[in-house]
Formats: sequence, structure tokens, C-alpha cells
Amino acid sequence: MANVVELNDVRREYQVGDQATVALDGVTLSIEKGEFVAIVGPSGSGKSTMMNLIGCLDRPSAGEVKISGAATRGLNDNALTNLRSRSIGFVFQQFQLLPNTSALENVMAPLLYQGMNTRKAKQKATDMLSKLGLADRLNFDRNRLSGGQQQRVAIARALVTSPDIVLADEPTGALDSKTGAQVIDLLKQLNAEGRTIILITHDLEIAASAPRRVFLRDGKIERDERGQK
Amino acid sequence: MNLIGTARLALNRIWSTKVRSLLTMLGVVIGVAAIVALTSIVDGASQGINKSLATLGTNQLNITSVAPAALTEQDANALASLDNVAVMFMQSQNEGTIATRENRVTARLVGVSPEYFTAVKPEIALGSYLSKNKAAQVSRDVVFGADAANDLGLTADMLGKSVKLNGQAFRLVGVLDDQAGFGTSGRVYVSLDSARRIFSQYPYVSSIVIQATSPETVDALQIEADRLLRERNGISAEADTRYVITNQASLISAVSSITDTLGLLLTGIAAISLIVGGIGIMNIMLVSVRERTREIGVRRAIGAKQSDVLTQFLIEAIVLSVAGGVVGLILGEIAAFLLAMIGDWTFSIRMDTITLALGFSLVVGVLFGVWPARTASRLEPIDALRFE
Repeated sequence: MANVVELNDVRREYQVGDQATVALDGVTLSIEKGEFVAIVGPSGSGKSTMMNLIGCLDRPSAGEVKISGAATRGLNDNALTNLRSRSIGFVFQQFQLLPNTSALENVMAPLLYQGMNTRKAKQKATDMLSKLGLADRLNFDRNRLSGGQQQRVAIARALVTSPDIVLADEPTGALDSKTGAQVIDLLKQLNAEGRTIILITHDLEIAASAPRRVFLRDGKIERDERGQK
Repeated sequence: MNLIGTARLALNRIWSTKVRSLLTMLGVVIGVAAIVALTSIVDGASQGINKSLATLGTNQLNITSVAPAALTEQDANALASLDNVAVMFMQSQNEGTIATRENRVTARLVGVSPEYFTAVKPEIALGSYLSKNKAAQVSRDVVFGADAANDLGLTADMLGKSVKLNGQAFRLVGVLDDQAGFGTSGRVYVSLDSARRIFSQYPYVSSIVIQATSPETVDALQIEADRLLRERNGISAEADTRYVITNQASLISAVSSITDTLGLLLTGIAAISLIVGGIGIMNIMLVSVRERTREIGVRRAIGAKQSDVLTQFLIEAIVLSVAGGVVGLILGEIAAFLLAMIGDWTFSIRMDTITLALGFSLVVGVLFGVWPARTASRLEPIDALRFE
């Protein structure tokens, strides 16, 4: 199987004032297409940095990051945006639906940014929302949706471009445990349909639902576990 | 994203924050309305002045005495016989009192030689001009300017009746129209001889007017007239004269340069308010970029390019400014229309005013929208997403 994520001795430093902070220190990791991986670690472990690098929101200071086979180092902003738009679907902790924008328009947005025409984007977005059980919520904006519904809209928005990777950052963090479990079930189901899911979390219980778990500590991979617990 | 999609996002945002958008526009609304209304006022005013001045004729020289007994009827006749003189008439004027049995007011009494009415042709509202025949020169007929007639409370049925000028009885034969021309309105016209008798000015005249045969010969005629008068009165070429020669064409160009300057000044003031309006838009847009930092981050994460974000914010600023311009244009034209009714000049919607108003507001939108839009597009997606 082809690797959709390849990190090769990746280092990421941040300059804060005149002090350099190392967020990731020599990380090597590959994730194959169709995997369901949890990246686990306490705050400050470097998991947000890892998410930014995998999500094409950031570039490494040293080492190589390849997403869908393309190296991100040296890409300009436009090229990085194109790669992100093609390869990554984001699901955020706080859902991050766009304000004053209906569920349908939220899901259409990534398609429109790819240059798809409005009619086609509307059709695809409607199909995706219907698939996630939101057919009767198309024209609701975020103020009229529950937390679980908002997160399902966000997942629809992440999936609608058929990205190589769905990158979920603490997707259950703002939900009660029952709704959170439903979201995890949905991610499992999507994985069963062949999607690559990368789940970023500090919660070991949530991480346990993933067949592969990568533990980060102080910017290094501490352990890489496989198999259900 | 294509331009229509981006424009839709911008419009959606403006619509969802209606009150704020309206307040943001207000500066541009006021600026554009001020420009439109002020341009129209200056236009109307200079239109009116030029129309009045045109009634005086452009190829005319006025020779006015600035000291007593400076000009004589003989001077006038000598001037009339110069080359290129089409018409000559004399005036003898002073302040006087005019009275009916009921009212008594002061007015400017003007004695004119018979050629005055044929040369100037002031529009008449009632009755007729002073008669041109010789007997009329010693008759005591009088023609009133519109304001003078109003001041004295003259009515149509008083034609042929008696009015008193400085205590002497005259017969009212005509009243001029209020559009009759520059400076006619407050005056009372009698024959030259009558006026000189009232003011005991004989054989002097207050002013002599000569009209050249064509506008091209006016300047040469002015020099020639001056030379002749100096010669007749024994004044050397360098010495001061006791009369002034004014050229109507130079008067008109002086007046229009005044109205031009006035127009420029007023437009300048209005332009300042437009700039202030633009700064208002920029201010709100910068606040808006800050408020929407997370939204920008999310948009970048789901595939918006820097150019998409830039375009979205720039369109928002331009729409605010141009919408303000349209509203300002409408309000300004309404104000101009009302002012034209009050000021009694012709109202017209000018294409160049519309172009100017919309063009200016577009420029303001682009100028003051670029910085906030650039700020928005240059946000790093990670920083924007992390922004609380």
C-alpha cells in the first residue's frame, strides 16, 4: 500500500524571542492509505505541530514531510494550499463551522475553493450531508445545530473533496461522551469504507478506538502500537 | 474560488451585519452627497452669473467716471465716431427717492440715452420701453426694474399713472422682467435729460458705453478710446484718469475664474470628507479582519488561497464604498434638486457628476480596502486557527 504520510527525520523549531524551542525532534513515521491512526500525547508533546505538518499548514525546519507523495518543504503558499485542498480534510475540536453560513454552504466551501461550479458543488455537498443524516438540516446555520450535528457537518466538509487523509484534531473534545462516541463510530465507519483517518488526541480512551496508536512525548515518538486493546 | 463566489461571500457578510455596514458606509455617503450637491450649487451659481453677464454683451466697453464732471456728452459723441463702434449710449445715474401716494423708497435712478434699450434689449414684463423720439427726451416717462417696482408696490393697473422721483412727477410706462439682465432689477430708468435735470449734472454724464462691431475689435477699441479721451481732456499717457474703462469680456473671465476657484475649494472640502469616509471603512475592515481571524484560518485550512481571502475582503470594502457612493449620489442629487428650486437655477443630472461620484467611491474602496485585505491574506493559517 502507498504511504499517504511520510515523515523522515523531521525537525520543527520555533523561534520565540531569541530562544529556539524544538517542537518535533527527529520524527520518522509513515502512514499507509486506509489506516486509522491515533496520535496521542499530552499538551506540549508536539502533536499539534505534527498535525500542522501533516495538514500542510506548516513546513518542517529540517527533514522531509511527504503528503500524498509530495514533499512540502520548499513549497510556496499557493502550492501548499493546493496540496492541502486536494489531500487533507480537517475536523476541528470546536467544529469551526463558518459564521452566518448554512450547513450546505459550509460543505460547499472546500469544493468552491477548488474551483468547482456552484451547481455541482451544491449537489455533492447535499449528497454528503444526506449520507451523514443531515438531509433535513441543509439550510441551518451553526446557531441552530447541536454540537453533534455541527461536528457531523464538519466531518461532511472534511470528506466532501474525497481527500487522501481526514485529519481530526480532538474531534470529541467539545462533545458529551455519548455524542463523542457517535463521532468516533462515524470515523470508524468511514475508515471501514477505506478512508485514511488520523486522530489527534490527548485522551487515551479515545485513542484506544484506533487500531494504531503513535505516542509522542517531548517532540519524539515514544512508542508506536498496533492492534486492538 | 471564482469571483462570483467570492463576491457572494463578501455580500453575505455585509448583509449579515447590516447596521454596522450602514454605519461604515455613512462617511462615504456624506462625502459623495457633499461633492454632488456642492458641484451642483457652484454650477447653478456660475450658470446664473454667466447668464446675467451675457445680457451685457461681450463686446462692450464701459467708460465710467470716478470723479465728478469727468465725462461729457461731447466725449461720448467723439467716442461714437471712432472706427469699429457699433453703438454708443450714455448714462447718468445717482441715488434718488421714488414715491407713490402710499410708499416711498430709495433706488438708483438711471438716465439713459435712447440707444440703451435697443442695444441692451432688457426683457419687459409690462408696458413698453422709453420712447425714442426727440420729444420723449424731455418727457417725464419712467421704466422700473423688477425689484424697484416690487419695493414700491407697483401693480399692473398703475401703468400710465404718476410716480414721484426726487419729488418730481413722472409717468410709469413700463416695468422690466426680473430676468431682464445683470443689474437692471433695482433700477429706475428715465431719459438722460430728465436724469441730468434731476441731478443738475448737465452737460456731464456718469458713464458712456460703447459696443464694438465684433468681439475681435474690442481690445483695440479700448486702447483707442483711452487715447481719445486723454487727448480730449489733456491728460498725458502716464497720468491717472478720472474715468475707468472696463472690458466686459475681461469681467466675465474674472467672474468665471472666481466661480472656478470656489468650485475647486468646495470640491476640495467635500473630497476631504470622502477621504475621512474611506478611513472609516479601513478602520472597520481592520477590526473585522481581527474579529474574523479564526474564520480566515478555517477558510485557509479548507482550501482558500491567499488570493481568495484578499479578494473577499477587498470586495467587501469596495462594495461598502460604492454602495455608499450610490446612496450619496442619490441624496446629493435630491439636495441639488431642492437647492436648484430654491436658488432658481436649472437642475440637471450630469453624467460627469455620476461618473465622478462612483469613480471616487470605487477608488476610495480600493485604496482603503487594500491594507486590511492584505493583512487578512497574509495571516499564517496556523496562527489564525490558534487565535482566541
